[in-house]
Amino acid sequence: LKGLAGCHELNEDKKVFEKADKILLMGNPNVGKSVFFSSLTGINVISSNYAGTTVSYTEGTIKLDDKTYTLIDVPGTYSLEATSEAEAVAVRFMDSNPLAVICVLDATNLERNIKLGLELQKYNVPIVYALNLVDVAKRHGNEINVSLLSKELGAPVIPTIAVKGEGLKELKGELQKILSSSNQGCSNCSSCPGCDGNQQNPWDRAKEIAAKVRINADGKLSFLDRLGNSMLKPWPGIPIAILIIVLSLGAIVGGGKALRAVLLLPLVNKLLVPVFKTLFASILPEGILLNVLIGEYGIFVIGFEWIIALIFPYVMLFYVVFSFLEDSGVLPRLSVLFDNIMRKMGIQGGSMITILMGYGCAVPAIIGSRTATTKKERLIISTVVCFAVPCISQTGALISLFAGFSPILLLLMLLLSLAVMMIVSSILSRTLKGTVDPMVIEIPNLLMPNGKAFLRKLAIRMKHFLVEAELPMFISVVIAAVLKETGILSYIAVYLEPIVSGWLGLPKDAVIALILGIVRREMAVAPLLAIEGLTALQAFVGGTVAMLYLPCLSVFGILTKEFNTKVAVTIGVSTAVSAFVVAGLINQIAHLFI
Amino acid sequence: LKKGKHTGSAQSIYSAPDNLQYIVTNAPELGILRSLGIVKNACIHKMMTHRLGGPVLIKVDSSEIAIGKDIAEKIMVRG
Repeated sequence: LKGLAGCHELNEDKKVFEKADKILLMGNPNVGKSVFFSSLTGINVISSNYAGTTVSYTEGTIKLDDKTYTLIDVPGTYSLEATSEAEAVAVRFMDSNPLAVICVLDATNLERNIKLGLELQKYNVPIVYALNLVDVAKRHGNEINVSLLSKELGAPVIPTIAVKGEGLKELKGELQKILSSSNQGCSNCSSCPGCDGNQQNPWDRAKEIAAKVRINADGKLSFLDRLGNSMLKPWPGIPIAILIIVLSLGAIVGGGKALRAVLLLPLVNKLLVPVFKTLFASILPEGILLNVLIGEYGIFVIGFEWIIALIFPYVMLFYVVFSFLEDSGVLPRLSVLFDNIMRKMGIQGGSMITILMGYGCAVPAIIGSRTATTKKERLIISTVVCFAVPCISQTGALISLFAGFSPILLLLMLLLSLAVMMIVSSILSRTLKGTVDPMVIEIPNLLMPNGKAFLRKLAIRMKHFLVEAELPMFISVVIAAVLKETGILSYIAVYLEPIVSGWLGLPKDAVIALILGIVRREMAVAPLLAIEGLTALQAFVGGTVAMLYLPCLSVFGILTKEFNTKVAVTIGVSTAVSAFVVAGLINQIAHLFI
Repeated sequence: LKKGKHTGSAQSIYSAPDNLQYIVTNAPELGILRSLGIVKNACIHKMMTHRLGGPVLIKVDSSEIAIGKDIAEKIMVRG
């Protein structure tokens, strides 16, 4: 599998560096920068990737009095040494003559944050510091002498609790002040106390400042703080993690069903579909064309049913839950707890976040695998997601399929999925060239996400999903409609019968599932629901084929885009083969005992 | 906080006893470790090692960091 580098066709905006009205929002990862960003900017937000990298930044507008500036949410970095892509992007932004910098400091990690703050001062740009998470620091037993910190840094420092919106007004006021003053940063004035330590190593200077400004106080850990700490230990961390996963699944599956039943199915079946049926029936004669448009599998029927009623609610709910887990700091804790298992699979705990994302949809998971530090790991994660991780729409369909039988089937399917995941990952980690970097992650504080930042993230994710998946979804709807409504499908079905009925032991109607499964993953399950008199074994074998089967057309598209056609074809062929082999073996072995 | 009992003797942070303070004597040259302050002569507090090849949890200043076994074994510390 060579040529992995492929081409990352990312939205790039080279002009962003040339913009004259830039204000940069900088800071360490996990300091709550995105909360500042969504609170300070207007509605128009552009999220793009910086040319040639996998690092994305977000851009919005900020109004101070009656002037408008561009605020750029620069990727979080620990330093400006350009040791990673994110740091290189941050350095490039600092070199591009910004008007000012808002540097967010995490009050619970003073030393490292002050160090970055000091490194930024070398660029001769006016800086205002936001000392965030002061409430959490206080609970940890640390109060901070803000005026002394401001004196030591030689720049304004505003204490903030961004998730509650505290201190943001003051921050804007201070930003306004430094923008209107002619003072070009601290390096120009020799009398400024911030310059005292310029010759000193930033680490030593940062530690010195931190020690000076920190006042030990009586802290009382909140429930969230204690929960955050206990989630890092196997006991009670693992039971809590399992509970969180079960609750999340419940919210997505249950919420999705409710949304479908109450809102979306009536909308589609009682309003959208009848309107288009009446419209087309009045202008077109009966025949194949009319059927392709509005027949049982017509474009304007399944187009609405699949996209609006089946995919949309689950995708949205998945992102609601996933973004919540992400913003609250739960996910890095899961990475810590399951790193030992992931390591045995040849990847590392941090990748668990990407794989979990695949349970929503493989498309964002494959895009999200960009965060993997090596190409080898990126390819392993993407392949594992294609092989063994059912997307949320398919999971919904599988749950409906097994509902008539014992819940043990669902549990067996889950175990099968985990087993395939481990086998595929272990094989790839041993056969692919390259390395996988071990996990090194900083664990953020556990906190309740900020509503506005959360909604903004959700909106960006949904927009991305629609942009990425819109065309493939539409194409798959058209293909399905044409195949089914023109009768081509039943013609092909004859040739597939030996595999379907002989090897897999499924009724011949199941052929439709296999063909539609190429187009959409849940469609490899849905037709099975319509077959009457299915045995538990047939349901399980059918479910196994569906779960392991080809990734859908959108996934094929994103694999081609993110890697190359060869990777996409290799994954496609091997998943299809493994689906027939594994499901067939299950069927044949089961028959030996029955 | 107590100081490590094996004073002077170098050991990896992976196998060093839990809940003790250590001085790093040698750490791999990795950008991420340097950025997080895990460098030679840094003072770190080891919290625990997860079982079955899991990560080591440490505290550097006030931040908690999880380090995978394969890197943690290469971070040498003394008490």
